[in-house]
Amino acid sequence: MADAHVHDATHDDHDHKPHGWRRWVFATNHKDIGTMYLIFACTMFFIGGAMAMVIRLELFRPGMQWVDPQLFNSMTTMHALIMIFGAVMPAWTGLANWMIPMQVGAPDMALPRLNNFSFWILPFAFTLLLSSLFVPGGAPAGGWTMYPPLVLQNGASFPMLIFAIHMMGASSILGAINVVVTIMNMRAPGMTLLRMPLFVWTWLITAYLLIAVMPVLAGAVTMLLTDHFFGTTFFTAAGGGDPVMFQHIFWFFGHPEVYILILPAFGIVSEIIPTFSRKPLFGYEAMVYAVASIAFLSFIVWAHHMFTVGMPLAAQLFFMLSTMLIAVPTGVKVFNWTATMWKGSLSFEPPMLFALAFLFLFSIGGFSGLMLAIVPADYQYQDTYFVVAHFHYVLVPGAIFGIMAGVYYWLPKWVGKMYDQTLAKWHFWLSTIFVNVLFFPQHFLGLAGMPRRIPDYAVQFTDWNMVSSIGGFGFGLSQLLFPYIVWKCVRSGTPIGNRAWEGAHGLEWELPSPAPYHSWTEAPSDALIAKGAAH
Amino acid sequence: MAAVLPDAADALARRRRVRNSAILFSLIAAAFYLGFIVMVLVRAAK
Repeated sequence: MADAHVHDATHDDHDHKPHGWRRWVFATNHKDIGTMYLIFACTMFFIGGAMAMVIRLELFRPGMQWVDPQLFNSMTTMHALIMIFGAVMPAWTGLANWMIPMQVGAPDMALPRLNNFSFWILPFAFTLLLSSLFVPGGAPAGGWTMYPPLVLQNGASFPMLIFAIHMMGASSILGAINVVVTIMNMRAPGMTLLRMPLFVWTWLITAYLLIAVMPVLAGAVTMLLTDHFFGTTFFTAAGGGDPVMFQHIFWFFGHPEVYILILPAFGIVSEIIPTFSRKPLFGYEAMVYAVASIAFLSFIVWAHHMFTVGMPLAAQLFFMLSTMLIAVPTGVKVFNWTATMWKGSLSFEPPMLFALAFLFLFSIGGFSGLMLAIVPADYQYQDTYFVVAHFHYVLVPGAIFGIMAGVYYWLPKWVGKMYDQTLAKWHFWLSTIFVNVLFFPQHFLGLAGMPRRIPDYAVQFTDWNMVSSIGGFGFGLSQLLFPYIVWKCVRSGTPIGNRAWEGAHGLEWELPSPAPYHSWTEAPSDALIAKGAAH
Repeated sequence: MAAVLPDAADALARRRRVRNSAILFSLIAAAFYLGFIVMVLVRAAK
């Protein structure tokens, strides 16, 4: 190891790969950091998933069985925070770290030390958040939206929650700055903006969203902190503050956040469908403009999350119509994916299966979103299980399936080996069946009036809750296949060539498999870029 | 990192661009953070 240090210091050898724990703790290589993000996200996925199992276990039957109401509320709150900030967002950042330099013809991310820092903030943030389960009064239980005055009644966990949110936000902002700077400055000569793969485009737009809205969340929770500890009354009505203002600020962050969670999935699906249809993507430029439009619209729809707080009719109409407008660019995307497959030579390997499930099931989430956008209808649906069903359709078969699709698509490139596709198809089918068993009945429960965030319910909701819980246990268990498939691939997968999939295009497939430690130490030629950008 | 570029001057220019754009986006993020706090204060003062 000492020799290695001397070697490092004297030669500045870019091909040198550090060994042992230093490789990971002091990592500046985009692939190492991407791997750490993905492992972290997977760990958080199972922790957040275990909390979902507790929720579904308690809701299996009416009455109180397993946990007290306080712990139940802690489980719903922590499940959301962990899944959003600990699983989905780090998974996307991991994929961005792995793929963006490879796809734009760069050797690494633009700011490698910042990259290391933004990753290593996360384990501390989530250790802090999870340790709040063991403090007096228990973990945060006021919902992930942290509405005052309820959240201000948290005990010792309150400052832990606020500090953890600040750290997660800082990590996201630093990661986003790195992505934007990399894409804007590190592209190979000839990699023009409109030659970039859709995954890079969607991440660029996502990064802009992150830079704009994560500080808004940070500002909101800073004000909560000063309200709690320093006597300010930003959101305390008794002191002249306005608790509804918190909701406006939170959702100004919260709605773009939904698109932060889903836009990279659009990018991945836009890579996978052409590959397995053996056709160029239909309407590449329209896809780019549609993603940009969705991102822009996400800033002007926030109050649809809070129609029932009371707002002027004009505001209700504005937010209803602007929300419905999002269906237009989303429809463009769904149409283009379908048109890409039209008369294509389709094959159904695991990434394509997950992408197709994404297409169908995310659309269900989109349609229920349109229903929720209608103000008078929303008065009925607000705070019912219909909302729970809606956003889980967006986030599970949307974001999570997008991540699964991406990992199954690029894993062979990362490790130079093909995984067990039969097992991956089992993973797909079990996930798809159980995710529908889990969430589809929640539409019925919501329409029948079952409120969300309750540990007990009226007996008429029993049957569909049992079905939903069975789906939940099945979905949770079937996810155990995923780390096993990855582990098996790393240990004993079948070696593959540079191009893992017959129809794959893009610079990443021009690199050897497994991808070298530093991606493009020499800029790819213009011809190679043009070949890869065959939209 | 410099290997992608034809010469050292270009590498230096790009390093400067990377630093400047990182600073710019950090300032934008800080402006959003402080801006919303100031907005709430101004609104409460009315």
